[in-house]
Amino acid sequence: MASKLLKMTNISKSFGSNKVLDGIEVEVDRGEVVALLGENGAGKSTLIKILGGIYHADAGSIYIDGEEKKIQSSSDAGKEGIRIIHQEIVLVPDRTIAANVFLGREIKKHGFIDYKLMCEETQKILDDLDIPLNAKQYVSDLPLGMQQLVEIVKAVSADAKIVVMDEPTSSLSHGETETLFGIIERLKEKNVGIIYISHRLDELFRITDRILVVRDGISVGNVQTKMAVKEKLVNMMVGRELTSYYTRNKRALGDVALEVKNLSNKNQGINNVDFYVRYGEVVGFAGLVGAKRTETMKTIFGIYPKDSGEIFCNHKLISIKKPKDAIKNGIIYASEDRKKEGLVLMNDIEFNMGLANLGNYIKFLHVDKKLWSDMIQEYVKKFSIKITSKKQKVGDLSGGNQQKVVLSKWLACKPKVIILDEPTRGIDVGSKSEIYEIIDELARNGCAVIIVSSELPEIINMCNRCYTMCEGRVTGELSEKDFSQEIIMTMATNREDK
Amino acid sequence: MVTRIKNAQKNNVVMAYFKRNLGIIIGLIMLVIFFGIFTENFFSVTNILTMLQNNVVNAIICCGMLMAIMMGQIDISVGSTVGLTAMAAAYLITNLHWNISAALLVSLLIGVLIGTINGFLIAYLKIPAFVATLATQSVARGFCKILSDGISIRIRNDAYNMIAGAKITIPGTEALSANGRVPISISVTILYAVIILVVTWVILNKTKFGYYIYAIGGNEVAAKYSGINTKLYNMLPYIFIGFLCAVAGTIWGSKLQGVQSTLGVGYEMDAISAVVIGGASMSGGSGTVGGTIIGVLIIAVLSNGLNVMGVNAFWQDVFKGVIIIIAVVIDVIRKSKTSKVIS
Repeated sequence: MASKLLKMTNISKSFGSNKVLDGIEVEVDRGEVVALLGENGAGKSTLIKILGGIYHADAGSIYIDGEEKKIQSSSDAGKEGIRIIHQEIVLVPDRTIAANVFLGREIKKHGFIDYKLMCEETQKILDDLDIPLNAKQYVSDLPLGMQQLVEIVKAVSADAKIVVMDEPTSSLSHGETETLFGIIERLKEKNVGIIYISHRLDELFRITDRILVVRDGISVGNVQTKMAVKEKLVNMMVGRELTSYYTRNKRALGDVALEVKNLSNKNQGINNVDFYVRYGEVVGFAGLVGAKRTETMKTIFGIYPKDSGEIFCNHKLISIKKPKDAIKNGIIYASEDRKKEGLVLMNDIEFNMGLANLGNYIKFLHVDKKLWSDMIQEYVKKFSIKITSKKQKVGDLSGGNQQKVVLSKWLACKPKVIILDEPTRGIDVGSKSEIYEIIDELARNGCAVIIVSSELPEIINMCNRCYTMCEGRVTGELSEKDFSQEIIMTMATNREDK
Repeated sequence: MVTRIKNAQKNNVVMAYFKRNLGIIIGLIMLVIFFGIFTENFFSVTNILTMLQNNVVNAIICCGMLMAIMMGQIDISVGSTVGLTAMAAAYLITNLHWNISAALLVSLLIGVLIGTINGFLIAYLKIPAFVATLATQSVARGFCKILSDGISIRIRNDAYNMIAGAKITIPGTEALSANGRVPISISVTILYAVIILVVTWVILNKTKFGYYIYAIGGNEVAAKYSGINTKLYNMLPYIFIGFLCAVAGTIWGSKLQGVQSTLGVGYEMDAISAVVIGGASMSGGSGTVGGTIIGVLIIAVLSNGLNVMGVNAFWQDVFKGVIIIIAVVIDVIRKSKTSKVIS
């Protein structure tokens, strides 16, 4: 019997008294795509870091092609053909694709770098994988999604045996995701084993062969993808029956809270955007990458200056020149990129939760610790944020908990209009469901909520109404009774005005 | 019960301080022991007071430098600003016979003006701090030399000389002094430094301004999106630095009873060294007044000790450089360890 490509047996790992992995088993065959599914904190990333040589397992062994291997460092992992593609992009922006793909293993001729050959080789790989890019393009000129693809190309170009992809599609558009799936198919043909981590269940059903569900450091399910049932996977993952994934109670719609008329911003490519949102309403914004939804919201929030257009709050014309003006008018914006734009990662929870509203807690030279910690207590309890203390560094929290810290920071300002940009990006199923609950509760308490989301099920299940945008224009408006994936996608790709 | 909790908290604060700065505290103690053993007069009261007095200016400048470094930036114009502000006062008092208060006020305003220009260039025009302050460093030094014609200006004015010359006598300390008869008197400049250190601590820990410095240094975008006027709060520390430089210039000019056109050359290096040794990260977001004080003391002990040992000034520069490298390497190792444990 031929041995498996990769076999990790009985892997355990503790940090202090916290047992993160408890004898987990993973097997990957040649040409097989195995999904690793689990909530944040389930132990997935620790497992991957052990495979990548960043952590050392306390117990257990790793076999590659049936041979036991000691992986002590990331260079050991590299030698064994293990390639880990992280969510963050680590490319040198001001260099070409070819220079990046061959970074660290440049081709040399007579002691000098043979750039031409590197370009040719890179182009061959790009063409082979059907990626419509030129090897001589600069990485900084590429959209985010394409950069992610280059990252993947870089990883798989050098004799990869086992490729781990950690949330590879989180910054990819629909088309780019298709290209990625194409790459995965090619890798399978080449007998490469793939471990695929994603919170997007639909993707797993499309691309993987087997799904390994991880919870509390052990594998709680190992099913052929063909036989898997979505609800069962979710239940395995969270360890309890989720009665409903989305929360949606009856909401009482009130008066118009925010109305935007003819908003334009040439620099950001926003063109005559019109929309409104009522109190007690959740309004979605659907669209593809490049639809300029984020840019629109940032313009409203005062991050980008608008060229023309009017913003009305409670039917009153307001002037927003900077984020502070928006906050004063009760409008808040929680960014899609919580690490870069939402949190000061090296600082603690207390600091971050107070940041948007410091004037409330610090009056002249007096820091009102009581008021401040009461606020933290309130939100930690309300959102069941898992923290050890309010002095814990935000950078050490899981994605879901970080997002809850961001929400707490904003809700402590008592906003009336809440703009959430990709509120559930990169967070696990359990936390997602909790965020949906929070959104629903906000609307029921009379807030006007705007959700910008690339996940259509989120819009369809959470919103009362939705707008679609394409290339900086609003291309459609739908009320919930007309929601369907097909109609929304058609409108979101409509390049004409509505 | 309540007091017990309060005491426990107090202990925690002290413990936290030691824990946080353990490496540099040990380093400082080792330096002190080394010089205590190898030099004769290191532990004498006079020597210790001289040492502190000689480092008052560095401590004051460090308060500003700390803020710039916490924002992930730097100010290398501090030395020239000290020189120019002191020279301006000397010129007004000696050459133009101005009255002292007016001269000192103008000197302070010049400091604030240089700080405002720095802050404006950095925060509003987005010129890298190193480049902006490199330029103002040159401009300020140029004006300093123009005013003095490249030499020095003496100040013969009792009131001016008392600013740094005044001493606080501590009664009942006769036994500690060198001759055993006169009580110890401490230069008032040490008091100035303590006041400014306290003010800086209060700013960083008890005001919105301080929190915003941490936020801008840690993640400027997040700070901006949280409704913070990041440009304004990026500019303010430079104004503070300019003010502190003028204070430092006044103290130095008063102490020396005159100003040389080279006054302040190299001060930025001592300040940056002390702040970095004190644990502030050059990439911004972290730094404490407590750590900086130890950084200042390490630099102080080192130069004083080497002086007392009779090591020449050129070698002192070499040792200072080595100490900085050691301090930063220790810091880097410690940080990589903690981050590994956490993630």
